[in-house]
Amino acid sequence: MTTISNKTAIAGYGATEFSKNSGRSELRLAVEATLGALADAGIDPSEVDGMSSFTMDNNSEQEIFRAIGGKDLKFFTRIPQGGGGTLGPVQQAAMAIITGIANVVVVYRAMNERSEYRFGQPMHSLPPTSDNVIFAYHGFAGLMTPAAMLGLMMRRYMHETGATSLDFANYAVLARKYASTNPNAFYYGKPITVEDHQTSRMVADPLRLLDCCQESDGGVALVIVSAERARDLRQKPVYIRAAAQGSPKGTVSLGGFYKDNVWPFDECAAAGRQLYAQSGLSPADLDAAIIYDHFGPTVFPGLEAYGFCAKGEAKDFVKDGHLEIGGKLPINMHGGQLGEAYIHGMNGVAEAVRQLRGSAVNQVPGVRNMLVTAGSGLPTSAAILGVD
Amino acid sequence: MTDASARGHNAPCSNRDFDFFYRGLEDERLLVQRCARCNQLRSLPSPGCESCGSLDWEPLPLAGEGEVYSYVTHYHPPLPGFAAPHPMALVTMDEGVRLLGAMDGTDPADVAIGRRVRVEFVRRENVAAFRFRNL
Repeated sequence: MTTISNKTAIAGYGATEFSKNSGRSELRLAVEATLGALADAGIDPSEVDGMSSFTMDNNSEQEIFRAIGGKDLKFFTRIPQGGGGTLGPVQQAAMAIITGIANVVVVYRAMNERSEYRFGQPMHSLPPTSDNVIFAYHGFAGLMTPAAMLGLMMRRYMHETGATSLDFANYAVLARKYASTNPNAFYYGKPITVEDHQTSRMVADPLRLLDCCQESDGGVALVIVSAERARDLRQKPVYIRAAAQGSPKGTVSLGGFYKDNVWPFDECAAAGRQLYAQSGLSPADLDAAIIYDHFGPTVFPGLEAYGFCAKGEAKDFVKDGHLEIGGKLPINMHGGQLGEAYIHGMNGVAEAVRQLRGSAVNQVPGVRNMLVTAGSGLPTSAAILGVD
Repeated sequence: MTDASARGHNAPCSNRDFDFFYRGLEDERLLVQRCARCNQLRSLPSPGCESCGSLDWEPLPLAGEGEVYSYVTHYHPPLPGFAAPHPMALVTMDEGVRLLGAMDGTDPADVAIGRRVRVEFVRRENVAAFRFRNL
């Protein structure tokens, strides 16, 4: 077992409401989520000395710090790759605390993604950075949206595994079923049917509208401290049992079309191998999971890459009901990013914290260990969280 | 937006690693890189060879035929420069490298994995481009 395992814990989380138009600044959302997380943990804002976020977040560390009444910020760091990076800031926080660089680290993500800009729009005419010249090279063919990029990967997955849009409907329906009983979810009170999925319009064939995540405004923050400190605080510590990033040979940001396997898979498998090695746990030890669903169909190769079923067998695993509460691996009980909201996966981390504390609206009984993953089809990250 | 006009092409976002590809299209040539040390071909341009790390390479023109490896059809939102639905194919060229290309001008229902395609050079406004057509 390596030194990261169980040395740190999520002591608190905070979140704003999730909406299509927050009516306030992104910085205000970040501050509200941060103050909420600190209050949840029972830690005074003056104790915060580290902050970690996504490069895509528009809120600077020192501005949040100023607004919460921070005193002495010593550690701040950012992780790229948008939703692929979700668990990267968590890993940064854990490493900073273990090495003594910081003691109380806030991880945050806040955005007015729906009301002020939309990620699903064509990406073109960008400055020629190393990633952008690749987006432009693919955009030259008309491949300009994340939906089309993942659609191209998933079409090959369907060809090789026999999975169909009807299989993907099973997850789309399940995510909205969970969301329909979650008051924080966009799909609260609005379950959908397989027919709704099958008749929803194509966005990037094979991906339909109801395969796509929400576009959301909102903020989520976590407070991470040492395991020792967490045991003295008011909430049950949610230990970071493992945290890893994955970007194996051939990985390209939303453009890994040139390696043997073009599925959104290799980077997830690479992160998974590290998680199981760090924690000493195996897929069979995990009671539930948050599997990143920028697009619902990517959950299928995700389940395979993290070892819950063999390659190509996710369609049967899902069809047999194993993602439901009572199944082998309930996932995304908040409704996922298809059903609750899209906050670059941070709302999924918050759901994992609630599940492990036993306070979720769609609670899985007796959860001890959970996998949480980030966006696939680009450099990714993942963590295993657990409680005693 | 790059002003690459002094670099021999009008592609909207390029750098000096990618210029050769767009310049090739101006001459109706589909170019990939061949590593000067290990001869590995690479289609997605890069300054270095993924196999051996060499920075030395030379452009190699492809014959222009291949087989569809995967595809996607874009429906929404509207794309600058393309009508919807817009099919695209990831093609394994006969030389062994994969290349992503537009398939506008082909009915999306006629795009399928395993189908043989051939490159067709086109101009899109003032930019030299290419697309694939079924053989």
